[in-house]
Amino acid sequence: MARVRLEHVTKRYDDQGDVVTAVDDMNLDIDHGEFICFVGPSGCGKSTTMETIAGLTIPTEGEIYIGDREVTNLPPKDRGIAMVFQNIALFPHMDVYDNISFGLRLRDYPQDEIDRRVERAADIVQLEGMLNRMPEEMSGGQRQRVAIARAIVREPDVFLMDEPLANLDAKLKVHMRTELQRLHKELDTTIIYVTHDQEEAMTLSDRIAVLDSGQLQQIDPPLTCYNEPDNLFVAGFIGSPSMNFIEGTVTDTALETPNFSLEFNPTSVEGVSAGDDVTLGIRPEDIYPGELKSEVPDPSGLITATTDILEPMGDEIFAYLLLGDGETSMSQELATNDQLLMSIDPDSDLEEDEEIGVVIDRRNVHLFDSATGEAIVHDLIPYEADSTTSGSEVESDD
Amino acid sequence: MATPTDTQEQSSDGPLQRWTQSAIQNPDKVYRALFYAAMVFFLVTTLFPFYWLIVLAVTPEGNLLSGSFLPTVNLFGVSGTFPLPVPKGFNPGAFVTVFEQVPFHLYMLNSFALAVTTTVIVLFVASLAGYVFGRLRFPGRALLMLGILAISYFPPAAFVIPLFQAFAGNAPITIPFTSIPLFTPPRMLNTPGSMVLPFSALFMPLSIFILTTFYGQIPDGLEDAARVEGTTRLGALFRVIMPLSAPGVATAAVLTFIAVYNEYFFSSIMATSPEAAKWSPIVGGILSYQTQYTTQFNLMAAASIVGVLPVVILVIVAQERIVSGLTSGALKE
Repeated sequence: MARVRLEHVTKRYDDQGDVVTAVDDMNLDIDHGEFICFVGPSGCGKSTTMETIAGLTIPTEGEIYIGDREVTNLPPKDRGIAMVFQNIALFPHMDVYDNISFGLRLRDYPQDEIDRRVERAADIVQLEGMLNRMPEEMSGGQRQRVAIARAIVREPDVFLMDEPLANLDAKLKVHMRTELQRLHKELDTTIIYVTHDQEEAMTLSDRIAVLDSGQLQQIDPPLTCYNEPDNLFVAGFIGSPSMNFIEGTVTDTALETPNFSLEFNPTSVEGVSAGDDVTLGIRPEDIYPGELKSEVPDPSGLITATTDILEPMGDEIFAYLLLGDGETSMSQELATNDQLLMSIDPDSDLEEDEEIGVVIDRRNVHLFDSATGEAIVHDLIPYEADSTTSGSEVESDD
Repeated sequence: MATPTDTQEQSSDGPLQRWTQSAIQNPDKVYRALFYAAMVFFLVTTLFPFYWLIVLAVTPEGNLLSGSFLPTVNLFGVSGTFPLPVPKGFNPGAFVTVFEQVPFHLYMLNSFALAVTTTVIVLFVASLAGYVFGRLRFPGRALLMLGILAISYFPPAAFVIPLFQAFAGNAPITIPFTSIPLFTPPRMLNTPGSMVLPFSALFMPLSIFILTTFYGQIPDGLEDAARVEGTTRLGALFRVIMPLSAPGVATAAVLTFIAVYNEYFFSSIMATSPEAAKWSPIVGGILSYQTQYTTQFNLMAAASIVGVLPVVILVIVAQERIVSGLTSGALKE
């Protein structure tokens, strides 16, 4: 059983007198056989966290356990891990067979055992007949498969994958993604996977660990991260295109934003009271054109907006809407109060610079504390609704 | 005098002007001409001494000092001096006599053993140092590197007297400027130790510098991969970093080997007399053909040629390795 636990792991670098905290008090408990993705923007500490698990970096504080053993200060070779690197890192002076069998030969396995395992690993990643090639003679995808074979051949307790698909082209990436999932099913090993691509994280993982500035923001299954983000950062990071954020103030009967108001009963929602400054979060697919109002379970009032830019994606159209006086705001802040991104049906005959009315699905409105960024609720129940059912914080409606 | 030529060239478009014109239009021609000129110069200066050695070696001893090496040739009634020295007589037996008169193979073996031992020690220690300087970051790295390089700026002669005293093992080593004894070193004169140790120290800085440059260029990912796969840092150095730096390692090895193989100054002092049994090197052997009353230039020349052969072979072999290492360019990760 290879359960991986991180307890209060902290890594600080001394950068010419400045102390940089790359990982800040990280606590993780990863179950055997779980596929975990570390996701976050560049410099969020996800790679450093993985390096501490791999043993390539020794944490400044905290303990790391793999299985029942404390491995905090063990060298990488004694941790029962295998790793796939972003830059693939095949040994250029060895052929595929030597690359795959490198770890086994170091551990003095008998030759027939090495052959058997290399054969099987090559079979899993579909590299039969290429064992005598040199890495430089192979394509990016093939090299990546060699790197994966090199990792699985050792039958490690834990797989660490540091952005293994980052250097592949888009098509190959999608293909390798499915192969990785198949691999995980076949091997039943714990996999820790680092990526900055939230889409990869959503599709691959059992649970996503969202990291920002060295701190764990949320660790939950993909859909929970998507539907019930713990804070503004997770809400903005998970989902593509990202969630709309609009700042507003709670009154006795509604949420007032600069351009529209959303009616609801603050007393029925736990954690919200009149006078609070909140940030409203709404995903593009939870905004509908006004004519579909009847199909929306809990629609808001009609909000007038002007279409700005349309981005047809084939299966949907992303429409950038301008609220209020139609002036584009160039603000780079997370909450762009007068802009909304809406996802609409591809058959829509909507045109640019057209004035339309839209409604918001109040069941999928997220409220965040403007000061702390913490999530307050993930749905606004209309004030006509029965107050006994309201106030639920974690009503999942996916 | 310039005026008539000028007018002549202007009027008839003389050969110099034509050549200048074409050189301006086609500068590659000039570059090629310069390349050949430089090439010929270097070939002559490097190969002529070898040719001269061969001429001396095959000339019988009795003919060495009489007459000229530049023969007079008489071609169709025109007589003149042939510009290239040629042997006066033919005596290939000198290459055998070389081994009969003096155990020259033993001197060669001495030089070879000293060179190989020194090269192995230098490569091992310089690899460790190169790894540290090239791949680790620590305060004072640049200063330490500078200190190591500074050793190679000292003239080796500066170390001879203290080293001789130390290796003689007659008196205890004292703390500088005092007479407080530290320890009495073992007597190492006339043993390989008294030569390998100073050679290693003297040739180390260059190798460290070369290997630092090469090891510093190996991507971190490869070392990480090796360590995850099951090597220690040291294992990664010798299994991955070193093989991938083969051109650098070969360069450092060849330079060290040749320098030690040709070394004479230290070994002539550390070996108290030029005897093979006292680890005197090749040059010591060559000088043994010179006695108080005679100098057998033909044997010295023959011995020099024989002595140079191993280095020639080494360079040819290593050059192939260096070239193949440079051209494969496999370091894209």
